[in-house]
Amino acid sequence: TSESHALPSGPRKVECPEDDEFLNALDKMVSENIQERMREPVKASNVDISVPVVLKSNKKTYDQLQDSADAERKTMGFVLMVRKGNKQQYKAFEADIDSELAQNLRDQELAQREE
Amino acid sequence: EEDDEEFYNSKELPDYACKYCGIHEPNCVVMCNLCKKWFCNGRGNTSGSHIINHLVRAKHKEVTLHKDGPLGETVLECYSCGVRNVFVLGFIPAKADSVVVLLCRQPCAAQNSLKDMNWEQEQWKPLISDRSFLTWLVKIPSEQEQLRARQITAQQINKLEELWKDNVDATFQDLEKPGVDEEPQQVLLRYEDGYQYQNIFGPLVKLEADYDKRLKESQTQENIEVRWDVGLNKKTIAYFTLAKTDGDMKLMHGDELRLRYVGEMHKSWAGVGHVIKVPDNYGEDIGIELKNGAGAPIECHSNFVVDFIWKSTSFDRMQLALRKFAVDDTSVSAYIYHRLLGHEVEEVLFRCHLPKHFSAPNLPDLNRSQVYAVKHALQRPLSLIQGPPGTGKTVTSATIVYQLVKQNGGPVLVCAPSNTAVDQLTEKIHRTNLKVVRLCAKSREAIDSPVSFLALHNQIRKLDTNTELQKLQQLKDETGELSSVDEKRYRMLKKSAERELLEAADVICCTCVGAGDPRLVRLKFHSILIDESMQATEPECMVPVVLGVKQLILVGDHCQLGPVVMCKKAARAGLSQSLFERLVVLGIRPFRLEVQYRMHPELSRFPSNFFYEGSLQNGVCADERKLLKIDFPWPVADRPMFFYVTQGQEEIAGSGTSYLNRTEAANVEKIATKFLKSGIKPEQIGIITPYEGQRAYLVQYMQYQGSLHGKLYQEIEVASVDAFQGREKDIIIMSCVRSNEHQGIGFLNDPRRLNVALTRAKYGIIIAGNPKVLSKQPLWNHLLSFYKEQKVLVEGPLTNLKESLIQFAKPKKLIN
Ligand SMILES: [Zn+2]
Ligand SMILES: [Zn+2]
Ligand SMILES: [Zn+2]
Repeated sequence: TSESHALPSGPRKVECPEDDEFLNALDKMVSENIQERMREPVKASNVDISVPVVLKSNKKTYDQLQDSADAERKTMGFVLMVRKGNKQQYKAFEADIDSELAQNLRDQELAQREE
Repeated sequence: EEDDEEFYNSKELPDYACKYCGIHEPNCVVMCNLCKKWFCNGRGNTSGSHIINHLVRAKHKEVTLHKDGPLGETVLECYSCGVRNVFVLGFIPAKADSVVVLLCRQPCAAQNSLKDMNWEQEQWKPLISDRSFLTWLVKIPSEQEQLRARQITAQQINKLEELWKDNVDATFQDLEKPGVDEEPQQVLLRYEDGYQYQNIFGPLVKLEADYDKRLKESQTQENIEVRWDVGLNKKTIAYFTLAKTDGDMKLMHGDELRLRYVGEMHKSWAGVGHVIKVPDNYGEDIGIELKNGAGAPIECHSNFVVDFIWKSTSFDRMQLALRKFAVDDTSVSAYIYHRLLGHEVEEVLFRCHLPKHFSAPNLPDLNRSQVYAVKHALQRPLSLIQGPPGTGKTVTSATIVYQLVKQNGGPVLVCAPSNTAVDQLTEKIHRTNLKVVRLCAKSREAIDSPVSFLALHNQIRKLDTNTELQKLQQLKDETGELSSVDEKRYRMLKKSAERELLEAADVICCTCVGAGDPRLVRLKFHSILIDESMQATEPECMVPVVLGVKQLILVGDHCQLGPVVMCKKAARAGLSQSLFERLVVLGIRPFRLEVQYRMHPELSRFPSNFFYEGSLQNGVCADERKLLKIDFPWPVADRPMFFYVTQGQEEIAGSGTSYLNRTEAANVEKIATKFLKSGIKPEQIGIITPYEGQRAYLVQYMQYQGSLHGKLYQEIEVASVDAFQGREKDIIIMSCVRSNEHQGIGFLNDPRRLNVALTRAKYGIIIAGNPKVLSKQPLWNHLLSFYKEQKVLVEGPLTNLKESLIQFAKPKKLIN
């Protein structure tokens, strides 16, 4: 049939012991690293993490994305807050509309509207 | 298509091209901070993205994003504490704002103040999701791009990572060079002669040694805080904690570490010490006793570095033993030589005067199969004694040793792979009033054990016949040092005293590797007994064997766990098969001890049927294994066992980790708490769980979430199956951990490991797990069916356990 001749759309996962080992090792690495943090007396520092007011004013809402102009958009603008020494810096980036990040923001807004 | 290949194999790729597949879209690549290599966020044909594959396999943890990527050049780190370990990093979004911040899971994402600052704390998510980085950090190369790139397999990734350990600049092309791929020669069942034997095992020992060396030497840790102390022997002790590196490296008593001072408060200093304390349930600190404490910067407490020192001693001794076996025809008797090589030899019986009573003074009387085992061993130059769990293997071994001494005189050499096993047996043999010397490695002399008083170095101190040695020893203890003349004299006297003690001994006990100690080199041993011999590799077993053996008794159980071989190549080639096992395959029938005295008869039923052809008899009755005055809701009154169905969906969230299996941890805690409340003491309980990650999680969980005092849970031993081998507990709770098919490796698949797990409990066993998944394994399917037949496959709250009607999966074929 024509189907069997169709080109693969992407690489297919190949199962093998080496891959299984990787899966185990990743699981182990994550849980060990987290456990270790829980045991260590790491102190959260006193840096200010509050959401910057500057960014609050020009926020985009999910609603705005629903506007006709944005209907075609598959991503949504976000800002990552990082720290250079004691200075806050902001890095803009786009997250997919169906990413957890975007979905979460939408859920939040829906919830707020209901209130 | 060929063009594409060439493109990805050519050396024209930018340096930020994925070292695995060649993809070099700046959007899609990340740099590993430690080795400065770049990897893409595509998974190709593996189940994790290339960068995650690299981080996990190389145990690297920090990354930087590409300057032309979505976020520009960014080092991923916690906004609050600055930690860069991507395995603990995640992000939280602001409440109703399109702002995001990176925070580590502990403690920064957990701090209470976050809520007041408009962050949505509960929304913390890890940066690694579904085994790749979140796409808003690093894009995933398109499927087309991935198909166009080099199709590297998980095997090749593995090999490349191995190559990098020797040569950081190795490339994919190096994988194709001859020699890289060479597998060592497989072990055989039979060997032509000792030379062939050495030629096959020698390279395997070398592989394991190289692996061990690489592992140890890559473990340097910086920024260590030190607490100083002085031991009873006046030696300087340094205490510190190390960041856990990975499960492969287990620090042991007697290991050597180098401590270095790199701060500015004192001139630079370095000192070597033996480990005298390792992390345990009570504390994570490590203690080392310095060989030479003079000049140590004891007024400084920070800015230290710790290096691991690799010692080749044990591997050298194995190589030496292999060599001796090949070239020295006095190393073993001709009969043993041929039997070990698998040659056809007529069986020989020693003509010996068998004793009337086979028991030994101060040891329990033997049962029938034990008596036969002793008789069997005494009459033969080579015998295998198989001791299933709880069948009195140690008592039988001690009795054999006692009778051997009575028959042939001493000294008999007694070995086992581990110090714990040697100590256990030493203690039993000592009870028979034989003259026993326990020979310890010099690096372990400071470590206390129940048989310390039998240790050679301690017996020498108590020799009151040699007054000159006593005086010098006293002087050395008091002043810490002797003049060079005195030191020379002291050493000479000590050496001859050691020889005297060893020659006068009836029995000398040491580990297999310890038998290569120079102090034993001049001695010949007619009879050698090796206990737990299935846990030693063949070359390890040969270390004692080549000391002139004419009568060799191997005690063990090939249905329990075998030796640990870390180098996979060597393991694959057969180094992980024990001598005991090979001799069984060669057709030498092991003599089996048949009466078990450990388990409640209901608990021994399945192991007996499944692992020992139903031959295990019970030497204890149900009444002797009843928990008196303990109110525990066993689903069937006379059966202290059940399988606790812990269903719940498999949580493959985040990076797909097992630590998310909270349901099972919570269930185990509830069971443990129920036992504690009903009057069971924590030290009576053992919790078995296959993975180190789950172990650590359980320990934490019980301590902080358990409804009783945290101290109580601390005394419950939680460990892997391997750590419980050779030991018993009154109650065993087994947590199978969320199990998908990938996690089967090393635990669920291995019948020997299951056997050990099921046979540790004396009074009761509870298994918590997901039958739907477990039943896919033929072995577990059997076990689950057994529990179901016994009406002890249950679910529901502990106070109201009900038989579960769950349907099992069809098992895959049993390959065994
Ligand atoms: Zn790649
Ligand atoms: Zn790296
Ligand atoms: Zn942090």
